Amino acid sequence: MARVLVEKRIDWIGIFFAVALTIVIVVPLLVVGTWAFTNVWRYPSVIPQEFGLKFWQQTLARADVWSSITMSLSLATVVTLLSALICLPAAYAFARMDFPGRNILFFSFLAGHAFPKFGLLVAIAGIFLSLNLIGTFWGVVLIQLVGTLLFMIWIPVAAFQSVDRRMEEAARDVGAGPFRVFWSITLPQAGPTIAAAILLSFVGTFYETEGAWLIGAPQIRTLPVLMISFINNQPVIQYGAVLSVLLWVPSFIALLFARRVISSGSFARGFGA
Amino acid sequence: MTLGATSDIVGTKTRRGLTGLLLVAVPVFLVGWMIIWPIISAIGRTIWLPNDGGTGRSFSLETYIFFFTDQYSLNNLSVTLWTTGICALLLVLICLPIALYLRFATGRLAAYVQGLAIFPMFVPSIILSYAIIRVLGPNGTVDLLLNSVGLPHIRSPYLTPWGPVIGLVWDNIPLTVLILLAGLGSVSNQSIEAARDVGAGRLAVLWHIILPRISNSILVAVSFTVLGIFSAFTLPYVLGPAAPEMMGPFMQRTFRDLNDPTNAITQAVIAFCFCIVFGLFYVRSVAKNRNP
Repeated sequence: MARVLVEKRIDWIGIFFAVALTIVIVVPLLVVGTWAFTNVWRYPSVIPQEFGLKFWQQTLARADVWSSITMSLSLATVVTLLSALICLPAAYAFARMDFPGRNILFFSFLAGHAFPKFGLLVAIAGIFLSLNLIGTFWGVVLIQLVGTLLFMIWIPVAAFQSVDRRMEEAARDVGAGPFRVFWSITLPQAGPTIAAAILLSFVGTFYETEGAWLIGAPQIRTLPVLMISFINNQPVIQYGAVLSVLLWVPSFIALLFARRVISSGSFARGFGA
Repeated sequence: MTLGATSDIVGTKTRRGLTGLLLVAVPVFLVGWMIIWPIISAIGRTIWLPNDGGTGRSFSLETYIFFFTDQYSLNNLSVTLWTTGICALLLVLICLPIALYLRFATGRLAAYVQGLAIFPMFVPSIILSYAIIRVLGPNGTVDLLLNSVGLPHIRSPYLTPWGPVIGLVWDNIPLTVLILLAGLGSVSNQSIEAARDVGAGRLAVLWHIILPRISNSILVAVSFTVLGIFSAFTLPYVLGPAAPEMMGPFMQRTFRDLNDPTNAITQAVIAFCFCIVFGLFYVRSVAKNRNP
């Protein structure tokens, strides 16, 4: 295997993986993309009879599509803001301060990952039942907020820890107050990583399906939840295809920003590798 | 830092300790209220059931006895175990070769393979379900292509237990590859070259040098998969058969459609019990890699 590094020869294994993964991963998504821009595609034609945007107009004219887009965006925004509001100060405290129980509290955020997720959601739903939070906006906010805690604390903690302490101390030596130091030295250095964490939690919340379905349905209908009902009950194939393309936009944005973070080994180590 | 800490007067230190605790209080409270408490409460409310008269609760394993004597529940449990096992096996068999290739290959082709292997992370599972239906479902792309060359239809995996397997494997490829790749990073080129110098073949290198060093990563990947798949909801709900159903859709239906929270929570506790070993192992591995 090390020989591959030295010798120049045709990389058959690489070609095999590239072709196989293209067929398995890219082709299904291209098929959905094609359906979204198809006016008529009757069996058994291999390519659509007529391309067009007819179903974009029809899908975007549906009230349920717009209300679920609004619902998804407002849920994701509220959850991300709340999460940043409570997690970033906590992350700063974990990174910089010493307090009793720091280690155990830091690792307590892993608790949610020690259990099968849907089982945990059902257990939470059992509690929400007695609090009358089932089918409410704030019930879904709470359940999605809990899902963002680990990332929104662990990633910013690493960001704050990687800030050069000597620069902070130098700024303090020349008379900068603690807030000035935080604003001018700490934040600009930790900022990009924190922004990545915020983006990840926004996108993660936007696609969160299971909590929204279990706690929110049928009153709270997000885009993924609407998509499930399209798959189950909608005979017009293109509606689902158009919605898939729309639904993929935030993920595409995340893809552009997060690719470098994810390709680095530190991301996988966060998952325990 | 050390200097600063020792020169702190005691009063400032306790105050800083209090400030720290206050800053972390809300997220920690949420973990307690929304993760720890629901689990304790789930166990409590399924073994102390309300009495018939409606006054008080008493110890009873009734719901658990029902689950393990009800054929339908047992079928659901066994299809879940089957799906989880098959997925974990397939993921290791598919992702280990990809990770091995990526560890030792360089260049644009390898970058392309890595990009594709990570790509499913950016495809929400609901879009994936839809894509699988369009490709493998009735009159899907595979049917179209087979029909155009005069071959008969496939037996579609959609709405069979293989539907969720395909979806879940697809969905879990990125993290499995990343975890295995991170594990392979600890296998040094020197150790492999040394083994090859004394005449070890590719398989011998794989078996004696690489696998022992990444066995922990494989276990982490398997634990992560088991935790994710055992109670997966979206993909089994959309792609799987109506009966037997996996634990995720089963719990959802019992909770919402049958309006029977006690039995749904019993199913959740049973799912916890089946996954506890993997969960603890997974959390231990993550914690070992991370210093607060």
